[in-house]
Amino acid sequence: MLALAELKKFAAEGARILGSDSEIAQFELYCSSTEQLVARLNYTSDIPSRGVEECKLMAADGFAIRIVTRRNSHEVGHSFIAGDLSREALREALARARRAAVIDPHFPGLPNDPRKPAARAGGTGDLIRTGNTEVANAAWAIVDGAIGAFTKGVPIESERQGLVLGGDVTLTRDRFAIAGSNLSGIRTDQTAYFSSSVTAIIKSPESRATAIALGASRADLRNKTTRLGHDAVTRAIAMRHGVRLAPGRYRIVFGPQPVAEMLCYMVIPSLTTGAFQASNSAYHGRFGSGVMDSRLTLFDQPAAAGRAIARNITCEGLPARRTMLIREGRAIGLLSNFYDAHRLASDEHRGGKLGPDAPAKPEFSAGNGYRLGEGGGRRFDSHPGTAATNVVMRTLGGVDEREMIRLVGDGIYVGRVWYTYPINGQRAGDFTCTITGDSYLIWDGKLAEPLAPNCLRINANLGEIFSAPIAVGRRTMPAIVWGAPEMFYVPSIAADSIGLSAVAPESAG
Amino acid sequence: MPANDLLDTVDFVRDRSEELLRRFARSHRGVAYADLRLEAVFHRSCFANDGEPRESLEHENASIGVSVWCEGQPRTGGSIGVGQHGVEIGGLARHANKLMPAIRASLEQAYERARAGAKAKADLLKRHGLKSLGPSLDEPLTAPAIRDEVAANYRDDPRTLDPQALKHLTREASAAICAIGPQISYNMVSALSEIRRELFASTEGSVITQVFAFSQGDCYVVAETPQGHQEIYDTFGQQRGFECLAENWRDELQPNPDLVSFGVAIAREATELAAAPILKPPDHEVTVVTDPHFNALLAHEIVGHPSEADRALKMEAAYAGRSWLLRSLAVNEIGKVIGSPMLSACSDPTLRGYGFYRYDHEGTPGKRVMHIDRGVFCGFLNSRATAATLGAEPNGSARAVAACYVPLVRMSNTFFMPGEDDPAKMIAEVDRGYYVCGSQTPSIAESRENFRISARRVYEIENGQIGRLYRSGSVLGDSKNFFMKVDAVGNDLRLIAIPNCGKGQPMQAKRMSNGGPTLRSRARLAGG
Repeated sequence: MLALAELKKFAAEGARILGSDSEIAQFELYCSSTEQLVARLNYTSDIPSRGVEECKLMAADGFAIRIVTRRNSHEVGHSFIAGDLSREALREALARARRAAVIDPHFPGLPNDPRKPAARAGGTGDLIRTGNTEVANAAWAIVDGAIGAFTKGVPIESERQGLVLGGDVTLTRDRFAIAGSNLSGIRTDQTAYFSSSVTAIIKSPESRATAIALGASRADLRNKTTRLGHDAVTRAIAMRHGVRLAPGRYRIVFGPQPVAEMLCYMVIPSLTTGAFQASNSAYHGRFGSGVMDSRLTLFDQPAAAGRAIARNITCEGLPARRTMLIREGRAIGLLSNFYDAHRLASDEHRGGKLGPDAPAKPEFSAGNGYRLGEGGGRRFDSHPGTAATNVVMRTLGGVDEREMIRLVGDGIYVGRVWYTYPINGQRAGDFTCTITGDSYLIWDGKLAEPLAPNCLRINANLGEIFSAPIAVGRRTMPAIVWGAPEMFYVPSIAADSIGLSAVAPESAG
Repeated sequence: MPANDLLDTVDFVRDRSEELLRRFARSHRGVAYADLRLEAVFHRSCFANDGEPRESLEHENASIGVSVWCEGQPRTGGSIGVGQHGVEIGGLARHANKLMPAIRASLEQAYERARAGAKAKADLLKRHGLKSLGPSLDEPLTAPAIRDEVAANYRDDPRTLDPQALKHLTREASAAICAIGPQISYNMVSALSEIRRELFASTEGSVITQVFAFSQGDCYVVAETPQGHQEIYDTFGQQRGFECLAENWRDELQPNPDLVSFGVAIAREATELAAAPILKPPDHEVTVVTDPHFNALLAHEIVGHPSEADRALKMEAAYAGRSWLLRSLAVNEIGKVIGSPMLSACSDPTLRGYGFYRYDHEGTPGKRVMHIDRGVFCGFLNSRATAATLGAEPNGSARAVAACYVPLVRMSNTFFMPGEDDPAKMIAEVDRGYYVCGSQTPSIAESRENFRISARRVYEIENGQIGRLYRSGSVLGDSKNFFMKVDAVGNDLRLIAIPNCGKGQPMQAKRMSNGGPTLRSRARLAGG
């Protein structure tokens, strides 16, 4: 990776060049260095496999510029250059940005923050300097633990065939420097975090269990991942001989992973200025009013102790701040980048889009403008979009999981769902997904037999989950959603009368 | 200096790749195989929204990917280790003194990772008393050396295109959608045109260059009426130049209107749907006639993805899921009936769809792969390693989204094959049922054995006549049950461009085509 000092030096030099161009009224220069190292787990006891499929590194350095011309304050151009942080490359970027410029009548100017940003405590831990070997070692330790647990836990030789272990250890590191005509000084930030998700499937009879770890330090990488393989396999062994349930309507406790999936694919995309502006939010016309049960509070927290992601500056150079989205059930804030915040605030139809309970002159903070690549690292070649960081759901009057299960009485504990998609468009709030593992029946207020994986499909609406839950959990737990750039810290939620349809038996691969 | 045009750097490296790889293999102990991929891209795109231009972009990039297979030391068990390294080098590729060291550094890094992997695997085997994790994967890859150059098929080169042309086109399309009326509450139109040049070279002696041209239009509309709202997103794409965006493209299998007409048609459909009632279907299986656009997504999710060998071999178990077509090497659907004798499906990268290519990213020639032949499942898309595991011939299906990514087993042009039935007659024969048109969102079970796919439009069929239109309808079914009940297959095959099929960790969003003719079967429907 390029050093922060190198990025800062290029940003400063670039700012001087762009600032001295008489045709440019405003500019922004963002340069970044990003690495993602993925050690992918693949052990199958009855099919040839490599244990750790490959340990692959992808690295990208480069810079992006945005310029506003003097001849028209709405004429904006942008371009980026990969690899090359030189004056020659900057000249080329400038020529491209000029060619690409468009006159956007709603363009509000580039992000503006003339104050010097306050120094933040903390910063990136030692993971920014971790060697690739440590990631590979963590992955092999997971496979090692999984094989050990499987060999020990499935004593009957005939049943020993049939362990599938998948997942990964992914280390994401990014650093950037940003300079701009509307920003004071050169601003820099860097992040390093890892996530590991392990899935263990025991075949014949099939069971499926998962284990995850998140962290931002080398100690976390070593300590939190060591037992993941062992834990996932041990749980999967205990979940064999799962039972099938008839389709129908059930009381369900959704564990942290299903809650995270619903937030990731349905709720968070609906709580952006862009979604309200585009009239496709599931909370269209309901900003300022109750959209969830009053026990639920939801916010985005870009930096806090114990969270995997730690960001101090957005990719638009603005301070990254906590954004309260839903307070005690009421939608009171939206995630936004700079452009969308202004666009919605100045939209002549915003009254209808936001709804009657919205403030007459709403102001949205542009605290979530990030340039994210696939998988979450901040990159020069992505336009600043709106994204969450650490999504946290807190509860009032939450109960512990045992009490939640007691309150449900008879029903299902769902620990893992898959492919949670808005099935009729985002605004409708309808979604569907299947229950893939980590799930149990609830009988008489207690966890009973495990539920067979892949036997039920959930067909529901957001309102059925979040509007009047039977109970909400007290503790928040970390959760990962495949492909999502955010991390989730969420409780369990129990809901009534959720529709389930059947998936054909004995057909999973 | 290799060249001023970044795409020409591919030729520069091509001419040096054999020697580079030969030297690398000779100077590094235990190298059983290595390959090098280099790619240079020129990309132009633009998007407009609510009748105004919002963003335009012109950029180029170059990336390198290398793969090294390394035999471990005999004292550590001799396991094979595989290492990969990918890097985006961008404009630095123009400079020989930057490009060639970057390639060599990538090879070194991949080599070190391969050796470390071989040792770690050997240690693991020793600790658990295992002989091997997979014998078929411990054989060095072998394939005949291929030398070829494949040209792209386009008229209007994105590199020489007037930058204003794409801006005007997207703005015009977006403005035309706005002009439909106040029911359109939001629209977004984007378009891209790009050219990619790729090199594949291996220690086996293969040196292949391929050039691809992609052009694509995307449109998203939200319409509102007093009765309700409707969102529609759709795409068209061709492996052509800008000409296919600006003009009607009368390709036999994958025709498209110009971008403006495309956007207007979607907006009109969204407006009509926003005023239509929400489907309230009966609570039992019904006859459904599904159109080619809907069947494109069905083919993608229920035939294409489960036919990927890496997924079938559980390599995607933690991510995109497994396959209902293979429970284990011993228990699987190969050679078994999984559908009606009227149903056939294949992947064919040799067709000029959005998924066309001549060679995959392991240097294997792409070819037609039959998945379902008259109801019988025939086989999987594969890479060289997964082919060895399955005991099959490699069929050239390992592809990455860019050279810096690891190739995965991917679809090409994957579709249900046409039958002989007249689609109008297929509807006329239905006493009571539903005509399901256009696809929206898929949600499939983990092995793709069950699906719920939402449609854009659902029409009642009564006494062979198309009746009332509904919105928010989905087809809900078990895959094998749905395929077994197919009783008519239309003669109207269409391919649809799929712009962003996601797979892998990190995610790789790949372009391809899917499609099919009109099908008739039985399934449950779900409403909103």
